[in-house]
Amino acid sequence: MLAIYKKEMRTYFTSIVGYLFLAFFLALIGLYFYAQNLYSGSPNFGYALGGVMMFFILLVPMVTMRIMAEENKQKTDQLLYTSPISVTRIILGKYFSILSMFGIVMLVTCVYPPVMAQYGTINFKQSYACILAFFLMGAAYMAIGLFISALTESQAFAAIMTFVVVIISVFASQIAVLLPTDAKTAWLIFSVLLLGIAGISYVVMHNITVSILIAFLMELALFILYQAKPEALDGAVLNVFGWFSISDRFTDFVYGEFAVSAVVYYVSYCVLFVFLTIQAVKKRRWS
Amino acid sequence: MIEVKDLVKKYGEHVAVDHLNFTVEKGQILGFLGPNGAGKSTTMNMLTGYISMTGGSVTINGFDIYEEPEEAKKAIGYLPELPPVYPDMTVREYLKFVMDIKKVPRGQRAAMLADIMARTQVTDVADRLIRHLSKGYRQRVGLAQAIVGYPEVIILDEPTVGLDPMQIIEIRDLIKELAKKHTVIISSHILSEISEVCDTVMIINKGKLVVMDSVENLPKHLERSISLKLVVRGEEGQIRTALGSVDRIEKLTFEPAEEDGLLAVSIGTRERADVREEVFYALAAAKCPIYGMTVDNLSLEDIFLEMTKGDEGAQEQVQNFTIDGEEE
Repeated sequence: MLAIYKKEMRTYFTSIVGYLFLAFFLALIGLYFYAQNLYSGSPNFGYALGGVMMFFILLVPMVTMRIMAEENKQKTDQLLYTSPISVTRIILGKYFSILSMFGIVMLVTCVYPPVMAQYGTINFKQSYACILAFFLMGAAYMAIGLFISALTESQAFAAIMTFVVVIISVFASQIAVLLPTDAKTAWLIFSVLLLGIAGISYVVMHNITVSILIAFLMELALFILYQAKPEALDGAVLNVFGWFSISDRFTDFVYGEFAVSAVVYYVSYCVLFVFLTIQAVKKRRWS
Repeated sequence: MIEVKDLVKKYGEHVAVDHLNFTVEKGQILGFLGPNGAGKSTTMNMLTGYISMTGGSVTINGFDIYEEPEEAKKAIGYLPELPPVYPDMTVREYLKFVMDIKKVPRGQRAAMLADIMARTQVTDVADRLIRHLSKGYRQRVGLAQAIVGYPEVIILDEPTVGLDPMQIIEIRDLIKELAKKHTVIISSHILSEISEVCDTVMIINKGKLVVMDSVENLPKHLERSISLKLVVRGEEGQIRTALGSVDRIEKLTFEPAEEDGLLAVSIGTRERADVREEVFYALAAAKCPIYGMTVDNLSLEDIFLEMTKGDEGAQEQVQNFTIDGEEE
């Protein structure tokens, strides 16, 4: 695991991508820190981070697109998967290298609250809770990026898919608010979502029968629910979009509350997607 | 050392590898021969645990590649079709990384690195980025990677592709030297290469084992009888009568030879019998002098063509196949 980790870190720092990621990310945080905290004089560092949050759309694909796709393309995965290291260790090594890149940014960011303290009283506890939550949120997005990269040989495809998924997640709650809340719309939207899930299952498993079966069973269940108990679907869209909204959870921290549930939520996201990545890699070699 | 039982790989309906069974003993060099698409690479990928099998089992050194992959993989060095190298590393960095993932003890690393680089002759490019190396050098780096940790089993998928004739000879010598201490499996569609290096040959076609035996024994598996080619002076009828007295001759064909008054005679015998002496005395008695006699020795090409005969798809492949062999 350490060998893979070291190799990935070296790759980040021998190519321009690693430096670009660090520079771009730090510049954004600096800019928002200046605008929100220094210029506007707010003592809440969470505002600055909240502004940077939407740039995950670009930053996450930047750091994750290469991580698995390039190995698949260069066939260097043959070296990794025929060496005496388990798939789990390979994936964890890679994921930790992504987290380290992000961790470097967050470590530098830890300097900001003391800087702010020079100009007035600030709540250190809350500031650092925000930084921690921001790190966990990023880690969750990056686990998704890792997973998407493992599904393909093309960095470009991985980047675009990650971009789309992160954008949907970032704006999930805003989009959901705009949608009608009646049961019929909910039924339609969920049907589309189910198709999406079936599509992903096909990409992962390459088994069209299973995917069609999954889509059919879920759609059937949804239809029965819609016919039998339409009121259950009222406002359900908002709730479901809420579950997927990684960014929303961060707001609690900005307003000074240490939301343990959000921490659990982020960590589960990371674990889930790292697990899915391991399964996808195993499955790929299995098909 | 390596035990393969009932190995099957299916891609949907397509059967890529069809119930392969074989064992390789320690110190053997096994040549894996087959036309393109015969399932050579698929089999190798399964032996090394890169892809899974649909059925059957592979045991390396007593460890099942599926049940105890880490133990089994420790004993394997693998050079796939494309050398699995990272373009943005130098050769030295790359080999150090391979040592890392193969868990070579720290104390042995420096010596091993120097030895492997010297053996595969990449020392002079050790600090160049792999991106900038030629195909031949990349192949050698790939080979160096496969022998890192001196694994007991070395599996090489078409190791000499892309090398110039001088390098091919060097790599062959290296493989022969490796075989003294290691078990080696090489795949190739170049026949001369296999006959040069290997002591056992395994021919597969369409995922099925056609034959597996030592290079010398292969002709025995042929249905075709051995044949003699003669150049004789005399009349066809005369020769035919003279040879009629020799047992075990099955087939006689006559053609005019290049020189006037001479006949080219080919003799097919039953049960691979050697009838050279009988033929000599018979023709001498009939006063038909023999101007030349050669045993029609079958090359691996002939054997291969023979073995995969009766299969139109394979026949086409075989055409390319011999041409490839001749290019060598």
